[in-house]
Amino acid sequence: MTMAVTVEAHELTKDYKFGFHDIDVSVFRTEKGLSPEVVAAISAHKNEPEWMLKFRLKALSHFRKRVMPSWGADLSGIDFDNIYYYVKPTEEQSRSWDDVPDSIRQTFDRLGIPEAERKFLAGVSAQYDSEVVYHSIREDLDKLGVLFGDCDTGLRDHPEIFRKYFGTVIPANDNKFAALNSAVWSGGSFVYVPKGVRVDIPLQAYFRINSDNMGQFERTLIIAEEGSYVHYIEGCTAPTYSSDSLHSAVVEIIAHKDAHVRYTTIQNWSNNVYNLVTKRAVAYEGARVEWIDGNLGSKLTMKYPSIYLMGEHAHGEVLSAAFAGEGQHQDAGSKCIHVASNTTSNVVSRSISKGGGRTSYRGHIKVHEKATGVRSSVRCDALLLDEESQSDTYPYMDIDSPDVSIGHEATVSKIGDEQIFYLMSRGLSESDATALIVNGFFEPFVKELPMEYAVELNRLLAVQMEGSVG
Amino acid sequence: MATQLQTPGAIGPEAVTTRAANAPAWLAERRRAAWEAYTALPMPDRTRDEDWRRTDIRGLEPDEYVVDPGPTGHGAGLVEAMREMRDRIAPDAAFVASTRNGVRALEGAEALRAQGVTVCSLEDAAVHDEAAVRRALAHVPVDGSKFTALWNALWRGGCFVHVPTGVEAAVPIVAAHSAAGDHAAILPATVVVLEAGASLTLVELEASPAAQGTMLSDAVSILHLGEGSRLDHCLLQRWSASTWHLATHRGVLERDSRLRFFAATFGSRLQKVYWDALLEGQGADATLTGVCFGGGDQHLDHQSLQAHRAPATRSDLLLKVAVRDRAQSVYGGLITVDRAAQRTDGYVQNRNLMLSRGARASGIPMLEIKANDVRCSHGVTAGHIDTEQRFYLQSRGVDPEAADRLIVRGFMQDALDRSPHAGFAEFVGGVLDEVVAGHSAAGVEAEGLS
Repeated sequence: MTMAVTVEAHELTKDYKFGFHDIDVSVFRTEKGLSPEVVAAISAHKNEPEWMLKFRLKALSHFRKRVMPSWGADLSGIDFDNIYYYVKPTEEQSRSWDDVPDSIRQTFDRLGIPEAERKFLAGVSAQYDSEVVYHSIREDLDKLGVLFGDCDTGLRDHPEIFRKYFGTVIPANDNKFAALNSAVWSGGSFVYVPKGVRVDIPLQAYFRINSDNMGQFERTLIIAEEGSYVHYIEGCTAPTYSSDSLHSAVVEIIAHKDAHVRYTTIQNWSNNVYNLVTKRAVAYEGARVEWIDGNLGSKLTMKYPSIYLMGEHAHGEVLSAAFAGEGQHQDAGSKCIHVASNTTSNVVSRSISKGGGRTSYRGHIKVHEKATGVRSSVRCDALLLDEESQSDTYPYMDIDSPDVSIGHEATVSKIGDEQIFYLMSRGLSESDATALIVNGFFEPFVKELPMEYAVELNRLLAVQMEGSVG
Repeated sequence: MATQLQTPGAIGPEAVTTRAANAPAWLAERRRAAWEAYTALPMPDRTRDEDWRRTDIRGLEPDEYVVDPGPTGHGAGLVEAMREMRDRIAPDAAFVASTRNGVRALEGAEALRAQGVTVCSLEDAAVHDEAAVRRALAHVPVDGSKFTALWNALWRGGCFVHVPTGVEAAVPIVAAHSAAGDHAAILPATVVVLEAGASLTLVELEASPAAQGTMLSDAVSILHLGEGSRLDHCLLQRWSASTWHLATHRGVLERDSRLRFFAATFGSRLQKVYWDALLEGQGADATLTGVCFGGGDQHLDHQSLQAHRAPATRSDLLLKVAVRDRAQSVYGGLITVDRAAQRTDGYVQNRNLMLSRGARASGIPMLEIKANDVRCSHGVTAGHIDTEQRFYLQSRGVDPEAADRLIVRGFMQDALDRSPHAGFAEFVGGVLDEVVAGHSAAGVEAEGLS
């Protein structure tokens, strides 16, 4: 395990070992494009066991067999041959904060991460290109037996747990992009919470894409044993590049009996990134899974966090917020699959489109034939801030059992003139009034975030809203 | 297409040739183009076509079905059964009845003709009112879809109504479509053109005897509403439980026109029905209402489109579905709002009542909004009868069957209240009670008709 560190502000100014800002000094990277050789090279470079190499190669053949999905957003801009599938930036994992490259530290600095860590965080995994370059875990987590590291380490150091769960929630052939991730995955988080353990402080990782034409294919696996609790937070920032990048992650969550897992994301990829992510959780008897999912950046996001409610009295919650500005399409949503009886789910989605941006809510509620006493509620609201923008709602409901109570409601509207007028009559400028209403609209989402994230989201929203009036 | 051993009169190039020979040149050409499109288009596929994902028609082989049966002997019986239905729904209405052999009855249209209203077969209208027919048919292009292409190639007879500017039709019109016989294929056709300020009530009936072999119905209604016109359109579907039913009912609404569309669905083994309200003119207003009951192994699929293409348009759809046994309901609804369609008000509600284990319902209400000054919303619910409700009614001496009937009726009542024609609502309510009580959904008595 990595050593615990305490980061002091003055340490951020120390000399750093890897002297790169914009120059790409990646130590190892595969050639552009995808082939069995590239996949084998990734696996060999990581010294992986044979079974993982086989898994990757099988996934590659699934990826090649599957056609591009045509039911959703426009994916025609992706050129799979023009992507590096693996870039290893540093020779070994950083042991402490002052080893982290300056450029990353500055980005984190701007977003308030070091302070947040000092105050709240259990550990930080900052992913630079495809490897975790910085990693810390507090000692008390170690004492509790909680494992929190990157997935490569998980595979190496905890093979028995890793292999038991890896790829069981999202099989390699689940969909085209899950197959791609399964073939070339690298990095991401591995979280294991033993029976009855409550992790009181959120586990947090920051991911970035930072190399031209760099695909990022992280893989996250979270296992919560019976009666445990964990809150995992993932956030993304990325600088802008001249050509399109692809991000295709897979996140698997297993919530055993009476476990409670919350997964919070704020996605803020730069506006040239295709963000095509498969996120799925299984919730066993009495378990509770919550996806708190915010999508602000990227050129195109397709992401539908799912919960399979496999045991009685399991509960699923999806709270999602999306913001699409100029040139952006946020195609996000949720799926709740009620397999067992007396399961419940609740989905709340808020989206805002502006400057020609497009938000789409795409959701699926399914109740299996043998599931009785199922309750589900879906609520989607969309705001359109101008005449160029677009909002879509595509909710699918398949009810195969009679003993259910299912409801779905959606509205699309603009900001009310009366609301603006009222606020302006109280002395606010039009732009301040609009910003205030937008903040209020996202309130159900924001109030579920830890303080520093709420502050950060409001800051990001303020940037996004600049120039939206007049 | 299979050419060997084709059943005489079956869906095929010969039937197209026969129809083209009796049609004016423009229509003959249109039929041939439609047949070409039909043969070129693949059958809808669950894995390829998103709107067909939940509806499986792999068992349907259209070219086994007979569109030209020759003299059948049961046409008069069918017409009489439909006439009786007319008498109960709207005794004052004009009556146009079609079977596979074309229009078989055209009665009670004198008052309408005195007003200058045209009521005739679509075939006749294609000759005498060509401009209006061509304008209306253009709303359903020959290559729009597999089954509208088939319809364009092979419709026969058909009911055509043309109401001149400013005329309020004196009486309603009942357009009935009926067929009987094993492997019968009927292509019901209804075309209504309302000029500016005109108004009309139209009741469409689709029905067949219960006891017979498999059947195919491929229907199209085209409703063209001129500026400021008003159309009340009621539709009752009572095909036998062995019928494949495919239909498109398309209303095109010009400025300030108003459509009230009310459909009751009871019959067929499988139906795939499209309701399209195209709001082309400013201030156009469409209210769409559906009442649907499915039992046995029925698969009932409704797809709706509310296309807001002009400012200040309004649409409101309510579909109420009750499913029992192993019946499955599929509903897909889409509201689109174009950039130009500011001040749109669009609404969709789909309410499903699940009556037994094994029954299924899917609801997919979609929104695609490109204008910002709009109010669009939708709601879908699925629920079941509370045990307490049943228990309460039984404790008051109501037997379980009657209790279900009361509860289903109560569930449907707000939709029935939206019927633009009182006699139709009353008739549909009665049919609903009978079907819930276990009677056949098919619309006409079987005696001597098969």
